[in-house]
Amino acid sequence: MARKDTILKSFLTHDLLESKYEFDKADLPSTVREALSSDKPIIKAIALIVDGLDGTSPVTDSVLRNQVTQFLNEAL
Amino acid sequence: MIIRKIQIDNYLCYYDTNTFVLSEGLNIILGENGEGKTKFFEAVDWLFNGENEDLELLVSAKKLSETEIGESFRVRVSMTVEQYGDSKIITRSFLAKKEKENQCSTSSFMIEGIEENSSGERSQVDGAALLDRVFPFQIRKYSMFKGEADLNIFESDNALVNLINLFSEAKHYDKYSEKGTFLREKAEKAVEDSAKRDKKNANLYKKLEGEISLLEKEKAKYEVHLNSTDEEIRKIEGNLQLAESHVKNADALETLNKRIKGIEQKISFLNGRIDENYTTSLFDENWILVNFEPFHKEFAEKVSEHSKKRRELQSEFDKDKGIKLGEKKAKADLLNNAVPLPAGVPSKAHMEEMLNDEICKVCNREAEKGSDAYEFMMERLKNYLESQAVDEKEDEEDEPLFKLDYTNRLENLSISHEDNLKNLRSIRTKIKELFEFNGDRKKEIDELNEQLEKEKLERERILGNSSIAEEKLVDVLKNYNAWQKDLKNQNEDQLRYNTEHQKLETQLKIKKEEKDRIDTDSANSFLIKTRDILRDVEAIFIDTKEKKFDEFIEKLQTKSNNFFKKINIDAFTGTIVFTRRNKVNRTIVEVELQEDGRVFYKPNQSLLTSMHISILFAISELATETKEENFPMIFDAPTSSFGENKTAQFLNLIFETENQKILLIKDFLHTDKTAKTLSIKKEFESIRRDKAFWVKLERPFDPNNLKTINTQVITL
Repeated sequence: MARKDTILKSFLTHDLLESKYEFDKADLPSTVREALSSDKPIIKAIALIVDGLDGTSPVTDSVLRNQVTQFLNEAL
Repeated sequence: MIIRKIQIDNYLCYYDTNTFVLSEGLNIILGENGEGKTKFFEAVDWLFNGENEDLELLVSAKKLSETEIGESFRVRVSMTVEQYGDSKIITRSFLAKKEKENQCSTSSFMIEGIEENSSGERSQVDGAALLDRVFPFQIRKYSMFKGEADLNIFESDNALVNLINLFSEAKHYDKYSEKGTFLREKAEKAVEDSAKRDKKNANLYKKLEGEISLLEKEKAKYEVHLNSTDEEIRKIEGNLQLAESHVKNADALETLNKRIKGIEQKISFLNGRIDENYTTSLFDENWILVNFEPFHKEFAEKVSEHSKKRRELQSEFDKDKGIKLGEKKAKADLLNNAVPLPAGVPSKAHMEEMLNDEICKVCNREAEKGSDAYEFMMERLKNYLESQAVDEKEDEEDEPLFKLDYTNRLENLSISHEDNLKNLRSIRTKIKELFEFNGDRKKEIDELNEQLEKEKLERERILGNSSIAEEKLVDVLKNYNAWQKDLKNQNEDQLRYNTEHQKLETQLKIKKEEKDRIDTDSANSFLIKTRDILRDVEAIFIDTKEKKFDEFIEKLQTKSNNFFKKINIDAFTGTIVFTRRNKVNRTIVEVELQEDGRVFYKPNQSLLTSMHISILFAISELATETKEENFPMIFDAPTSSFGENKTAQFLNLIFETENQKILLIKDFLHTDKTAKTLSIKKEFESIRRDKAFWVKLERPFDPNNLKTINTQVITL
């Protein structure tokens, strides 16, 4: 398993996603690629960050911020 | 990675060429003090980290003395290692040229690398790069230790960060918590900017921001206080434990300490229950009204009397009014048995005209003065005139006797005081009960203080039964009592700081919620939603990082304790506990020995060494797991506090651990004082090892003349 997928998986096992967002852990994506197409904003936001920091082409802080906030502002 | 061979040429006491052909497992190098053990360790350290400076200090004096002026020789330390089936040779060296007697110059300092593949082909490579490839410097940091003090790697605050960077996947999560905070802060800022555009909340918003910032500063202040109190408490507990270690009857002392703590807690609880805030009670809780009842009685009587008088007056007034009304009615009845004409018909002018003319122009009859008809008309006129005047009189009669009802208000006041009298009457009992309650508690406290004194005396008696000299004991006792007092004070401070900290956290939560409410009302909703999600993302990142840190520490702890149990040959069966502490700007790990959950503050050196070596073995095992290969460990005199028996047991135990180890020790050597000869004790035969060497100075030698110093390497 690629490192970015392992990292994503550790984030997606956090209790908050079950307790607050009521996601079923079995339905959560297991790779960054899958998570980037998720219809759940928080999952896709986390995937964007993981891809930005541990993906093939790491991005700068401002690019990361633009990507994540732009996506969330539009999706919500 | 295995070190197959170490060769030392002309390095200090190692004259000419000396070779250590090492084995894969446990290698023991024996040597008396000053005969070359530490120089071996330093030579290897120089190979790994040597700089091009003060090189002339590393030259073998014997070799230099034997060299002709103008001639040169190499000082060299070389290591042959085996990694993944290939052989690699790393050599650090320099050239020493004898300039005159006892003096040399140095040149061509270098580190060389040679790689040899399985088919025997050799190639020259960059020595420094090769060294870092076969034995990374971060791993070397946890592989070489000189003396017992060096073993405690957690002395350094950076130890945890270093270990995590080396051996834990937790290092990947560090940047996520940083970026999570960065994104959340930017989202908060966007919401704030949007909310501030709404002018109606601008002032409140600014005020809240100021309050939040102030509360956060206060909170940070208490965090610093808590940190230092925590450290202080641990220091005092350590001092107390050390003092207690001199005491023979340690169990009784522990029981007594528990009892003393219990009594002190009871006293503190009882003191908390005593309420002697009499001034507040006197004024705020109406105690001052304890003698109010007679005043109230006088007041109530006066009000009642006044009320009665008022009612009498009112009754009189009403009666008069009733009579007047009755008279008026009777008159009306007398005047007309039939329905009278309206008072103004005929008009006043007509009536006066008819009276003047003495003729009733209504019935066209004469009405001479004095006749009934005339009198009738006169009466009608009078009635009419009166009717005009009556209106004014009726208005006067409608006016009440008392325009304002103060009496009623006084009555209500009196009734309300009457109701309160019930409470006021119980004040005496309450005061009495409070004094009794406080008195009882004080009595209990006095009894407890008496008991406490007795327990403290008993403690001093036990402390007196000590293993140290009497004069020292006086100091210990003095300090012990002072420390106990300090500990009590520090514990109280800690409790107070904790309460304040919690209070501030609650206040901050309220203020933040208030600010959030303004945000929700004023800022764009999509910005709020983005901020909320990024808050959760930050929480997920931070929690996950901490979880990974904790998992690593847990793993290190488990592994360390596995080794500790094997190595620990004392009766002590404690546990190594790693505690993560969040300091103001960083996280550190503290290592403690605990026994039944109680911190063992001052373990003896031998126990400490066992603990530190266990941790190092655990780290070495982690390195093996993470890097998927073994790395050697080199220890110079790691067990000097152990004594020979314990060292023997220790060596037999670490023989079973996996990776290569090179141990330099001074045990198992015997000096015959008469013959002045050295020999290896026969006990060493029973020590399990893979290879052993003996480094000893060639005899005879003059300890004051370095030219006679030459360490021989004997493979046993």
